[in-house]
Amino acid sequence: MRPQRLLDIATEKCTLGCPILDDLLGGGVPCGSVTEFAGESGVGKTQLCLQLALCAMLPPSRGGLSAASLYIHSEFPFPLPRLRHLSFHFPSPFPSPLDHVLVRGVHTADELLAILDRLGDLLSRPPSGVPVKLIVIDSIAALFRSDFDNNSVDLKRRSSLFFMIAGKLKEHAARFGPAVVVTNQAVDVVATEDQSSRLRVGNYASLRTSGRDVCPALGLSWANCVNTRLFLSRSEQRPPKAVDLGDSTSEGTYTGKVRRIQVVFAPHLPESSCEYVILRRAY
Amino acid sequence: MEISNLPISPSHRGKLLSAGYSTLASLSSISPKQLAEGPSTGASLLSHTAARTAWDMLTDEQTTRHITTFSGELDAILGGGIHCNEITEVGGAPGIGKTQLGIQLAVNVQIPVEYGGVGGKAIYIDTEGSFMVERAHQIAEACIRNTLDRSILHRKDLHGIEAKMQPNNFLSNILYFRVCSCTEQIAVINYLDKFLEEHENVKIVVVDSITFHFRQDFEDFAHRTRLLSGISLKLMRLAKRFGLAVVLLNQVTTKFIDGSFQLTLALGDSWSHACTNRVVLYWNGNERRAHVDKSPSLPPASAAFCVASEGIRDALPHYKRPRMA
Repeated sequence: MRPQRLLDIATEKCTLGCPILDDLLGGGVPCGSVTEFAGESGVGKTQLCLQLALCAMLPPSRGGLSAASLYIHSEFPFPLPRLRHLSFHFPSPFPSPLDHVLVRGVHTADELLAILDRLGDLLSRPPSGVPVKLIVIDSIAALFRSDFDNNSVDLKRRSSLFFMIAGKLKEHAARFGPAVVVTNQAVDVVATEDQSSRLRVGNYASLRTSGRDVCPALGLSWANCVNTRLFLSRSEQRPPKAVDLGDSTSEGTYTGKVRRIQVVFAPHLPESSCEYVILRRAY
Repeated sequence: MEISNLPISPSHRGKLLSAGYSTLASLSSISPKQLAEGPSTGASLLSHTAARTAWDMLTDEQTTRHITTFSGELDAILGGGIHCNEITEVGGAPGIGKTQLGIQLAVNVQIPVEYGGVGGKAIYIDTEGSFMVERAHQIAEACIRNTLDRSILHRKDLHGIEAKMQPNNFLSNILYFRVCSCTEQIAVINYLDKFLEEHENVKIVVVDSITFHFRQDFEDFAHRTRLLSGISLKLMRLAKRFGLAVVLLNQVTTKFIDGSFQLTLALGDSWSHACTNRVVLYWNGNERRAHVDKSPSLPPASAAFCVASEGIRDALPHYKRPRMA
């Protein structure tokens, strides 16, 4: 047993495909730790993950990892048409990029655990020959919303499942070095008169999306399991000025809502946020 | 040492001498029972062979080194900083700054003695993967700048030592272990005894976090408690034997107390007795605060601190604090 030399450890990052988002994250999604994207339905978590899977194939000179990705999804169906559409805008060094996005659907938390047990084989002997350096779980919340009742036995069981899943993910992240991205849903927070009794996790006393107070699902236990938490939200506002679409074939003005990504907590990032828009082709 | 020189009452001295014991060495192999059954000297005499006086312990305590956190207020409630020879547990919600404090201490322990520090190395046992080298580099850089700036004020002339104060040197003095399971965690802590014999001058061991691998499925809670108390005993022995500080970072969980859910440190009631000192980090509005929850020598007190790009620092005074959107 020997200590690792810190000077030999260089944390690789995977670009998100947008330089401003990369800047917010200090270069991109870090390898070797678990990053969570939390937000309400439709805010863009899946889109971001699909984009990330394509960016992972880019060479390091362009911010990628030259690697394949494993996309574990718990919401059906898998958005294959959107992935195909995005792949046209992310020129990949590989001849058939979609071959390097390994997709697997899961229905329950136990199924996920079973896959994570066998993940070591996949990571050491990747089927396509290209190493798998990105693992996406979209979404973790969907696996836990229905199977568990609100009594103490079930909550304890749920909590220990969180730690088992997170433990396996982090073990693989530490041994094989992939970036692990997990998406989570947002639940409404009941407004109470006593604001101080609300548990605060991270840099923001409250998180808002679409005019509602929310917090990431799965509670304090799961919050203890992730290394970095990013919150995606949608505001009620339109973008203040015309978005430069930079593409002569698309519409003149952007008409969607402004979206925001905030760093709730991260060991290497300060509290910060930035705004973004989803375009037909990409972020 | 001669019996005649021992600080004991004359009647006891006389009894020992007449029983044939003339030096301390001759007493050391006798069991208390034997001696007590002997010429009624009383078992209390044996305390001089093995125990130490409270005066000695007080002198030791006053010379114990402290490791600064770089937040003056936090150092103050800790009695000067994190104490060597003791286990300090630091717990708090995600995002409050536990890992930041852990990294800050692993860097600050290396401040040379000439600059008022402890001048030691650090062992960092990472169980969660939160340790980011780039952040440690940032904190080390700021620590060095801070230390050198202060020394300019004192007009110290220490060029040789100054040259060694480089962020990369600081990083290479943090001995980093990444553990991925409960068994690995126990194995590393068992291994530390031998490791510390081979690597001198380690003055702090940070475990980040002690909790993570112990919150998985433990059907037998008694087993978990036994493992945890085994760990804390080993760490306590290491702290005393090598004179180093042990800092254990803990997570929080909610507990139903007095009709409402309250935040407590994880790992249960039995664990709460394991550490010498307990510090809880929490939010007070938009301010980060630390509270000394349990300590044999420190009064309960709380202090504000902040996590800046340079690391842990004093909180900004209220009028300077930027408004949060």
